[in-house]
Amino acid sequence: MSDTCRFEPQMLRAAQEDRWTDSLRAHLGECDDCVAAISVAPWMTQFSRISDREHILPDPSVIWLKAKLLQNTVDVNRVTRPMDAVQLISYIVVAGGWAGVLLWRWNEVEAWLRTFTPTGMVESVARAESLSMSFFALVLVLASMTVMLALHTILAEE
Amino acid sequence: MNAFAMTIPAPLFEEARSRTGKPSPMDEARFEMFYRRNAGNLWSYLFRMTGDAATADDLLQKAFFRFIRANPALAGEEHMRRWMFRTATNLALDHFRETKRERSQEVETPRQQPAEARELLRHDMMKTFAELKPRERALLWLAHVEEADHEDISEALGVKAKSVKVLLFRARKRLGELLTKKGLAPQAKR
Repeated sequence: MSDTCRFEPQMLRAAQEDRWTDSLRAHLGECDDCVAAISVAPWMTQFSRISDREHILPDPSVIWLKAKLLQNTVDVNRVTRPMDAVQLISYIVVAGGWAGVLLWRWNEVEAWLRTFTPTGMVESVARAESLSMSFFALVLVLASMTVMLALHTILAEE
Repeated sequence: MNAFAMTIPAPLFEEARSRTGKPSPMDEARFEMFYRRNAGNLWSYLFRMTGDAATADDLLQKAFFRFIRANPALAGEEHMRRWMFRTATNLALDHFRETKRERSQEVETPRQQPAEARELLRHDMMKTFAELKPRERALLWLAHVEEADHEDISEALGVKAKSVKVLLFRARKRLGELLTKKGLAPQAKR
């Protein structure tokens, strides 16, 4: 769709070549668009022709190479994005797991830690108390996940 | 002549089709061909928009980076040229937004006094054109130099096709006023 006045090309040509017919002159009297167009057309033509060709354009092979390098970087980022997301989720899960376990059994953990003091050792032997096997199993799982995550992070960076 | 039907004689992208009819991705040779045929016009446009050769170089490269990334074999040649001008226009307007050099500031012009008459003329013309808003510059260049129709201009500038007529009229009036003020307006031949 074009809303250009249908006389505009003729008007521009007439202005360019300074060849005016009666009908074009008559149209000029009633079309503001054409008046505006021919008031700037010769200047724009001259402006477009002032030489800037001495400027050396960037080499296309350099642009191609740079674009490919940029593309590779973008591709790598796109491919690693899901992995990064999974890694982040894993960090959160493991950290949350540790926090949950410690909060859930904090009193027992605290008591267990106290057994490492000399008085605590004597008391615990006398009471024969210890943490449940399920707790230790959970800790073992979380510890394994932490180690695997740490190894994955180190290896992925390398 | 349609504006964006510049000077590409060969059906560049037609050649890229395989026997199955599916377009193959653009390779370096075809890109180089497309670049050599279009980069000059695009650079002139960006240079007139920004008034600075280095900025025009930079924006030209960015436009072609996007062009390569856009997998151009999927589209026709005509579409590609329109796409390039639209991208270049967006990049130039973004550049003005980023550097806050809209109309209030002139585009960069050579600091030393140009020696030759031709250089002086170019300097004055660049200065005059720089007094327009970036969008006015784009409108005038696309309409008068690239001879784009209103639909192509609307696509390049991201405005409604119906608005182009009014915007172009205003841009022409504004340039006309500037030229009159500077005593450069052409004499009406009525």
